[in-house]
Amino acid sequence: MAEPVIDGAIVAPGHDGQAVLVVRVRHDNGGFDTVTLDADRARKLLEDCAAESAEQLRGQPWRRLLTVLER
Amino acid sequence: MLDIVIRNGRIVDGTGLPAFHGDLGIAGGRLSRVGGQLPASARQVIDAGGQVVAPGFIDPHTHFDAQLLWDGQARPALEHGVTTVVHGNCSLSLAPLKAEHRPRLVKMFQQIEEMPDAAFDGAFQWAWEGFADYLAALRGRVALNVAPLAGHTPLRMWVMGADAHKRAAKPDEIRAMQDLLRACLEAGAVGLSTSYVDMDENLAPVPSRYAHSEELDALAAVLGEFGRMLQVVPEFYSTDVTVARVDQLAELSLAHGIPTTFSPLFDSSAVPDNVPRVLERVAEQFARGARVWPQVQTRPIDISFSLDMASLYFIQLPMWYMILRMPRAQKLALLRNDGTRKGLIDAAEPGGDTSRFARLRVRDSHDASLIGRMLGEIAAERGTTPAGALLDLSLEEDLGVHFLAASMGHEDPSRIGPLLANDLVHVGASDGGAHIQSFATYGDTGYLFSEFVRAGRYLSLEHAVRKITGDTAQIWGLPGRGLLRPGMAADVVIFDPDTIARGDERPAHDMPEGGMRYVRGARGVDTVIVNGAVTWSATGGYTDARPGVITSA
Repeated sequence: MAEPVIDGAIVAPGHDGQAVLVVRVRHDNGGFDTVTLDADRARKLLEDCAAESAEQLRGQPWRRLLTVLER
Repeated sequence: MLDIVIRNGRIVDGTGLPAFHGDLGIAGGRLSRVGGQLPASARQVIDAGGQVVAPGFIDPHTHFDAQLLWDGQARPALEHGVTTVVHGNCSLSLAPLKAEHRPRLVKMFQQIEEMPDAAFDGAFQWAWEGFADYLAALRGRVALNVAPLAGHTPLRMWVMGADAHKRAAKPDEIRAMQDLLRACLEAGAVGLSTSYVDMDENLAPVPSRYAHSEELDALAAVLGEFGRMLQVVPEFYSTDVTVARVDQLAELSLAHGIPTTFSPLFDSSAVPDNVPRVLERVAEQFARGARVWPQVQTRPIDISFSLDMASLYFIQLPMWYMILRMPRAQKLALLRNDGTRKGLIDAAEPGGDTSRFARLRVRDSHDASLIGRMLGEIAAERGTTPAGALLDLSLEEDLGVHFLAASMGHEDPSRIGPLLANDLVHVGASDGGAHIQSFATYGDTGYLFSEFVRAGRYLSLEHAVRKITGDTAQIWGLPGRGLLRPGMAADVVIFDPDTIARGDERPAHDMPEGGMRYVRGARGVDTVIVNGAVTWSATGGYTDARPGVITSA
């Protein structure tokens, strides 16, 4: 079974008025899920993925998300 | 003789039934007559011709715990027609709280609800530890009614001390928490609040998050003895986990016969299926007989930022985001560099398209004349572009200028209107009194009428009034409030249905020691009456009356 991958990410407003990053994960069966990251976790995800922008997260393995969520 | 007669009003009684014209009589703090024509022989006669006479609005999600101790009118909530507030939400309350735990809890309030030191330090005397004594400190001070929740976090701190921040509770500790919660409820708490999300000042989970399900179940059992509310902050950033929390709350509701509510639930184009999926599960659980009320706010959500921090607002602009993440000195040097500046502007305004930043507003600046203005017009005055103005203004104030990108989420009326009208949705989640240096948490009731009754017609006037009066009192079990009926408490708001709205957001320096917060005044509200006493009027402003009570006591 193929590993889920990050399909994209967009900025959205958080409950407290700070910007958050909504990361969309695509599963092998065609299903999608979203994970919302605050600024610190989003920055860590970009670093871990060597990405300079949200667009460059596309195609990254979902396990990158686990690392930042466990912080 | 009646104390007050309100004449010629369009009475919207909070039941959702059609409005009718008539007079309203008040005596001894209660409604004595509703409808018909009353003689004008009263101590005070108010002409409500052309205006709506409704029950006072009830705000079920606030953080006025501290403010009520130095501002018993909870300004400016009262002038919007809010006559009852629920506070102590999100696991945080100022009681029960041992003296030695005050500094930690205050830091949590500051971290989570963004309240300044001055709101706690010296603004009032800490004269209590137990819940009953906290309520005693409020009595006689408050101009509106208070419906206090006991917070799970201070409950754990009281029983477990420092271990509350580290581990699950042992059976004897759970029993002690049950006894403590029981005492809070006997004193007048309307329920228990807990959180699965919030972090303390060290960015560690707040104590309530260390509770195992057995602990919450035991506390819910105590709530069941009183039929009281459990309020929860779920992991709202994940639809799947929120749905799971709905199921958990439903089981607690069914097992112990209690109402539950969770907040926030908000709509975002980034996760368009979030609200539909959560609501679908809520409906399934209501069909089973559980009570799991999602709280939904009326106002849209803005994003605020300064260049001092690397806000995700800039993540679509890699050059900006990279520089903003740099150490401060390096960042400042680059922002002042002409070549870098040109690169940043070119990236933000490709081909001369200045639309990205043009509608950003200045949220906070030392120059008061800039506050509230759009970058596009400031840029035109300065002979630069919006991106140039963003950089210039920031550098002129050492990156201290804050900007606002308005209505970035929960902003589509065609989605929010039907949501607010849904019978399973509890209109609330204002967060009144919190996040005060980021945005104004007042006026959501006026916005309900201006945006969703008048403009969008998603709710009738009667339906909207019912959602924030009769429904709220019923959901929370606030006896004698929320309806205009003889014998009920005389909590009344008189407003113009054609103009009621929230005012513009503006900074105010009215916190203790002159601290700043964002506020909104009311539009279209004429008179606010609490327990039969006029507490605010459009013509006279705030009065000295302090008629507020603890609703459940």
